[in-house]
Amino acid sequence: MDALIQAFGLVFDPSVLVVILLSAVFGMFVGAMPGLTATMATALLVPVTFFMPPIPALGAIVTATAMAIFAGDIPAAMLRMPGTPASAAYADESYEMTKKGQLNLNMGVNLVFSVAGGLVGVVVLIAAAPALAEVAINFSSFEYFWLACLGLTCAVFLTNADAVKGFLSLFLGLLLATVGIDPSAGFPRFTFGEVELMQGINFIATMIGMFAVSELLRGAVTVRDAGHVVVQQVGDMFRGLGAVWRRYWFNFLRGSVIGTVIGALPGAGADIAAWISYAVSKRFSKEPEKFGTGHVEGIVDSTSANNSALGGAWIPALVFGIPGDSITAIVIGVLYMKNMNPGPTVFTENPQLIYSVFLIFILANLIMLPLGWAAIKSARQMLRTPRNLLLPCILLFCIVGSFAMTNSLYGVVLMLVMGLFGWFLEEHGIPVAPLILGLVLGEMLEQTFVQSMIKADGHYLEFFARPIAGVLGVATLLIWGVMLARGIMRSARR
Amino acid sequence: MSAPRSSALARRTLLAASGGLLALPALGQARFPNRPVQMVVPWGAGGGTDATARIVAAMLERRLGQPFNVVNRTGGSGVVGHSAIATAAPDGYTIGMITVEITMMHWQGLTQLNPESYTPLALMNSDPPGVQVKHDSPFQDIKALADAIKSRPAGTFKASGTGQGGIWHLALVGWLQAMGLKGDHVRWVPSNGAAPAMQELAAGGVDIVTCSVPEARAMIDAGRAKALAIMAPERNPMFASVPTLNETLGINYSVGAWRGIAAPKGLPAEVAGVLVPALKAVFDDQEFKTFMTQRGFGMIYADPQGFARFMAEGDRAMGEAMRGAGLARG
Amino acid sequence: MRLNDALLGAILLGFAGWVWWMTTFFPAFPGQDYGPNLFPRILACGIALCGAMLVLRGLRQRAPLVAVDGWMRDPAKLVSFLLIPGATLFYVLASDRLGFIPTAFAILLALALWFRARPLVALPVAAGVTLAVHWFFSGLMRVPLPRGLMDPLL
Repeated sequence: MDALIQAFGLVFDPSVLVVILLSAVFGMFVGAMPGLTATMATALLVPVTFFMPPIPALGAIVTATAMAIFAGDIPAAMLRMPGTPASAAYADESYEMTKKGQLNLNMGVNLVFSVAGGLVGVVVLIAAAPALAEVAINFSSFEYFWLACLGLTCAVFLTNADAVKGFLSLFLGLLLATVGIDPSAGFPRFTFGEVELMQGINFIATMIGMFAVSELLRGAVTVRDAGHVVVQQVGDMFRGLGAVWRRYWFNFLRGSVIGTVIGALPGAGADIAAWISYAVSKRFSKEPEKFGTGHVEGIVDSTSANNSALGGAWIPALVFGIPGDSITAIVIGVLYMKNMNPGPTVFTENPQLIYSVFLIFILANLIMLPLGWAAIKSARQMLRTPRNLLLPCILLFCIVGSFAMTNSLYGVVLMLVMGLFGWFLEEHGIPVAPLILGLVLGEMLEQTFVQSMIKADGHYLEFFARPIAGVLGVATLLIWGVMLARGIMRSARR
Repeated sequence: MSAPRSSALARRTLLAASGGLLALPALGQARFPNRPVQMVVPWGAGGGTDATARIVAAMLERRLGQPFNVVNRTGGSGVVGHSAIATAAPDGYTIGMITVEITMMHWQGLTQLNPESYTPLALMNSDPPGVQVKHDSPFQDIKALADAIKSRPAGTFKASGTGQGGIWHLALVGWLQAMGLKGDHVRWVPSNGAAPAMQELAAGGVDIVTCSVPEARAMIDAGRAKALAIMAPERNPMFASVPTLNETLGINYSVGAWRGIAAPKGLPAEVAGVLVPALKAVFDDQEFKTFMTQRGFGMIYADPQGFARFMAEGDRAMGEAMRGAGLARG
Repeated sequence: MRLNDALLGAILLGFAGWVWWMTTFFPAFPGQDYGPNLFPRILACGIALCGAMLVLRGLRQRAPLVAVDGWMRDPAKLVSFLLIPGATLFYVLASDRLGFIPTAFAILLALALWFRARPLVALPVAAGVTLAVHWFFSGLMRVPLPRGLMDPLL
């Protein structure tokens, strides 16, 4: 109880509120600009939050991402350009609705169901995380080894790309994680005598490269020809919403729950949550033939899902230190930088921090309603921001941000290399998300493996000796078996 | 506090006004420091070394009237930060906090750097390792634990606290050797620092953690772990109930994770002449004392010559211990 | 730009071999069969396997060895693309000597002008953003941004 009161004090500090408000505006803008993603918003925020106390730092990230995921719906509806990948699943549907003259209702549905879906995700987070932490306090290296395996498996399982490329990306990420001092003998691997490489591949600089610089590379090609966009003004967006609520409340619940669960699975975030819940909506709809013609039903499902995924993704991040999506992958980095290693101990040692995150989540979703309204109303002006000025500025933020992460040019060089590499991978249809997850979890995987082997005196069966480790291990092996069997069957059929 | 700052400001304006032509000779003559100083820390923000460096920096800033900016250069088991300090220009505008690892890394073959690569300025702190067990461990005092370790075969017990060949690993090795056992009688489980090791301890993954008591404090306060002893000549006033190895086992073994301030080799004497007294004054300041005591950090001061001797002595001892434990390389 | 799967796979096979070769220089840890080389070797095998599958797939597809996108043949667009890594490299090479402020200002101005911003807009934006970023990171956050030429003035 004490911790809760403390958390209120921490969050409702004027300076924290100012940070939250500013990052909300920042998130809205980044989300609404096509080509700037929510992950990019987080990656660019980290250097700024790096020097803040933990609460405003986390507040800035939570708020900015929640806003960005919603704001991505705005250009999707107006221009058929999803502002973030999380809105891609229903961008066509949304644009069709606008073409039918239902822009007002469209924006109202996107805003209100984003807020409501976000709140569902928070409620699940609040209910599930502390309970899971109680269990996780007894986790040793065996359990964490299997959790890391499960997380990495999910990452490949859930990507839309084909399995070979998913695995390839994962292996490359894991290999990048081995650069630097190794966890078993303290030997520097793949450093080529470079002192800077002994610190390993800096993860934030890599993220900035892969998510921001690669996007800039794609954007740079078209920016000289980009004209100003013209969009219509939105009117009263709340009319007719009541009817949608009454008719599709079950879609909303289903979308939010699917979103939260997918968010909580490592490696899959808001974008995949939206794709899956849109597909589920269509599959179980009474009028599937209307999908694709500007039908509101699928939008309700998926716009709720992508916002609820945000809260869900924090569950494994806070409890196990395993990211639920690429945004929480960055959050884990931030927590480590603040010396608050995510894991069950945070719940006992810093409960006020956990409660503060919960409060910020609720707050962020509540202020999304007025701020989202304002963003929709000013979308015309926002979408006219000249990209030829925006692009150079973002590049400068990337450079300074990466520099600040390592306090040396190593960060900048790494960002550039990873930006080009990320661009190259995406050109070949190789997804970047598994690589990032591999980079984040690689050290945990190897470290817990080595620790477990030493503790077990080299007996592999010890990996199944503890009850929870046994369950997790068997589950992991089962999933691998299923994946393998499916692959063999598929190639046999060919 | 305002007097030195405003005079520094005036000097800066003067300098700017005097233009580029005069700037170089003027810089040479102007009293150090006349622009912000970087204090490099080889370890991450939020940890013990970072916290100590930050308070030293804040207090230097107040005394010398220029910003002292703490810059974290982390990774590579400390190699990255230590080499950033050693390779910076020796003009006094880059100094850093060096730690016990500088006497260890070169034995492991991780770097060429050793204590000779720096201009030592002041030793500020040293923390002895403790011996921690789980709260419901069958061994409730250090005597029982030591007897059990001796009577069971090698490899029965597992310990953790830091990476392979880290300072807390050597603390364990030294303790075992002092008891007449081999350095690997208790198997070392490498971890990513003290906090994850304490989590392993609480989860029942390892039997012993030999990190410093301040690092184990959170778990001890939460009632999940217990400190049985510290490897130091005397008790820590902050944890007065924890006995020393000497008074319980009669083993006079002590080792410590120390931290001190150093500059790159070849620092001009007049710059050192500013920094050394300032650091001594910081160490004697009541505010510094209060901060260190509250955190449970041990305080020990040595002037440049004393610090150099201290490091040379430690370097030799570490070399011996690491060769004995088979951790030295190259 | 898109390499044929077979070519990409072949590169990956070579890369995996190189990784394996590198691991032969890692020391073994006395008394245990899992040392620093275990994980990189497993990963090298994984990458090699993926590479082999891509080679097989690529041979079946008969796509061109390298497919070049249309924009790469347009010199102006190619320059736009190369300006992003070019500007970053410029920062890496020049920032220590010139200092953050001149380098950042030059990058912003050059890029904005090439991207067809009006000079009257680009100039104040470049100057304003440079100073704002410097104030925020160097002043508030105390990031050691290089001082360079501006050293006597700051």
